[in-house]
Amino acid sequence: MDHYLQLNGLTKTYGDFTALKEVDLAIGKGEFITFLGPSGSGKTTTLMIIAGFEKATAGDVLVEGKSLSGLAPHERNIGIVFQNYALFPHKTAVENVYFPLQMRGVSRSEGLKRAEEMLGLVGLSGFGQRYPKELSGGQQQRVALARALVFEPSLLLLDEPLGALDKNLREQMQIEIKRIQRTLGVTTIFVTHDQTEAMSMSDRIVVFEKGSIQQVATPLDIYHKPRTRFVASFIGESNIIEAAAVEPAARKATAEHIGEIEYGPSELDVEKGTPVTLMIRPEHIRLSRDPKEGRRNVRMKVETIVNYGDNALVIGRVGDLSMRVRVLGADVVIIKEGEDCHISWTPDSVYMIAK
Amino acid sequence: MRLIGVLVVVFIAAPLVIVVPMSFSDARSLQFPPPGYWLGYYHAYFTDMNWLRPTWNSILIATATMVVTMVLVVPATFALVRHRFAGKSIADLMMLMPLAVPHIVMAVGYYSFLGDLRLVHTHLGVVLAHTCLSVPIAFLVLSANLKGFDRNLERAAQSLGASPVKTFIHVTLPILRPGLIISALFAFIQSFDETVVAIFISGRDAETLPRKMFDSIRQEADPVIAVISTLLFVVVLVALVAPFAWRGLRNRIQMNASRSAPPAGQ
Repeated sequence: MDHYLQLNGLTKTYGDFTALKEVDLAIGKGEFITFLGPSGSGKTTTLMIIAGFEKATAGDVLVEGKSLSGLAPHERNIGIVFQNYALFPHKTAVENVYFPLQMRGVSRSEGLKRAEEMLGLVGLSGFGQRYPKELSGGQQQRVALARALVFEPSLLLLDEPLGALDKNLREQMQIEIKRIQRTLGVTTIFVTHDQTEAMSMSDRIVVFEKGSIQQVATPLDIYHKPRTRFVASFIGESNIIEAAAVEPAARKATAEHIGEIEYGPSELDVEKGTPVTLMIRPEHIRLSRDPKEGRRNVRMKVETIVNYGDNALVIGRVGDLSMRVRVLGADVVIIKEGEDCHISWTPDSVYMIAK
Repeated sequence: MRLIGVLVVVFIAAPLVIVVPMSFSDARSLQFPPPGYWLGYYHAYFTDMNWLRPTWNSILIATATMVVTMVLVVPATFALVRHRFAGKSIADLMMLMPLAVPHIVMAVGYYSFLGDLRLVHTHLGVVLAHTCLSVPIAFLVLSANLKGFDRNLERAAQSLGASPVKTFIHVTLPILRPGLIISALFAFIQSFDETVVAIFISGRDAETLPRKMFDSIRQEADPVIAVISTLLFVVVLVALVAPFAWRGLRNRIQMNASRSAPPAGQ
C-alpha cells in the first residue's frame, strides 16, 4: 500500500470522554475506503478531523506526506458530501456546482461551463437551472456530489450520503457513486453504518468501534476473516462458539454441547488448553434430517423459522447454545418448528477469531 | 362555528374599515356615518406642516431605530445562539427584558434618565428609547431564524474553499436575508407605532406621528386622523400583498421559461 493519506495516532477527547484513541491508517491514491461502525464509534469524528472541522487532541493527518493540521477547512482542498446534502437553497444547481470554482477565482463563464460538464457526468444535464427544492432527493445527492468533485479535490469524503434515500434509489446511487469515483480516480472515504453499503462499494473497509479501529481489510476478508468478535457480529450474521484448544497442531478444539470441533487455517498461535473463539457463518451450515456423511454432525432442535422467500433463517438450539442456519427457500420444507435435525459444516468454514 | 368566525372577522376588520369612509367625510370632527364626502382632509394633511413634520419625524426616527437595532441585534443574536459563554442566560434575559416591563414604566425611566443626559425632546433620545424596545422583538425574530439555520451549509461552503468571511457573505447572509428583513421591519414598525414613550420624551421638536394623533384626538378629533389611518392601512396592505404578487409573477415567468426545459423526475 502506498501512503497517499495517513492518519497518525489520531486521538480526540471531550473532557473525560475519549471519542477516538490513537487511530492509525494509511490509504492509497484512488482507493475507495469505507469507515464502518455503529453511531458513536468515532468514524464521523475521524472524518471531521480530516476535513478540519474538528481539531484532534493528538496525532496528525497527512496527505502526500504533508501535514494538514495547520490548515483551515477552506485551505484543505477536500470535497465533502453531507448526509443532508447541504446544497445552498438560494443558488441553482449549476450555481451550487460553480461555487467552489468561484471561490478559486475561476471566471463565471468558464466556471459555469465546467459546472455544467460535471452535472453531465453525474447524469443531471439539463437540470442546472433548477433550485435544490425543485429536485428529488436523488438528484440533490448528485448535485452535492458534482459540487464536491468539480474542483478536483485531493480527497472526497462522503458522510452517510445515502441515509435519507429509499432502498431502490440507494442501490442505484451506490452503483452511480462507484462509477463516478472510478471515472475520476479520486481517493474516497465513505462513512456509513450500513454493512451492505460497505460491502458492495469499498476497496477496503475500516471497522470502527468505541473510538478505535477494529480491522482494516477488503470486504471479503472482513466477512470471512473477521479479526475480532465485534467485527464478526457487526458484519453479517454469525454463530460464535467459545471453545478450548485441544490440539493446536491439528487445529482441533472442543466446545460445550458440540464436542470436538475442527477449524480452518489461522494465523493465530494458540497454546493447548487455552480458550479460543470460533465463528461459523449461518450460510455455511448445512441442515438435514439425517446425518451427512463425511462431515461433523450435531443435533439441533429447531425453534423458529423465519421465511424470506428466496432463503430462510432457521434458529435452533444445540444444548444451551443458540445457532442460526441459513437455508435456501426451497430446502426449508424438510423441517418444521419444534423438530430435531442435524446440522453440519466443513472445518474450512470454521474461523478462529482473536478475541 | 362559522358564525363565530364571521364575528371575529367583523370585530377585527370593522375598526379598520370604518376609518376609510370617515377620512372622506366633510364633518368637522370624527363622525360616523359621515354626513357627506369630500377630499378636503387629504388636502389638509398633505399641506399642513403640523402633520407633515411629525410624519417626517416618525419616518426618520423609525429608520434610525431600525438601523441601530440591527447593528446591535445581528452580532448579539449570533453570539447568543451559536456560542456558549459565562453569563449567557443573564444576557438572554436582559435582551428580552423590555418586552416584560410595561411601556409606561420604561417611559418614566427614560424620561428621568435621558433628562439627565439632556436628550429629552431630541430625535436621538427617542431613537435610543425606541431601540431599547425594538431590540427584543428583532432578536426574537432573528434568533428563531438562526436556530433553524443548517450549519452544514457553512461547513459545506468552507470545504468548498470559502474562507469564513466569504462563507458569511455568500451563504449565511443570503440565506438569512428573509429573517433579517423581517426583523428589521419589526424594529421599524415598533418605533413607528410607539406612543407611550413618545408622549413622554419626544416633546415638540421630535414629535412623532402617533403622539401628534393622540394630542389631536384629545383636543379636536381632527378627521385628518382618519386620513392618516387610511393611508397607513393602505401602505400595510400594499406591503402585505406585494410579496405574493411578486412571487406569483416570478412563478409565471419561470413556468414560461421551463416549458421548453426537460421535465423533472427520476
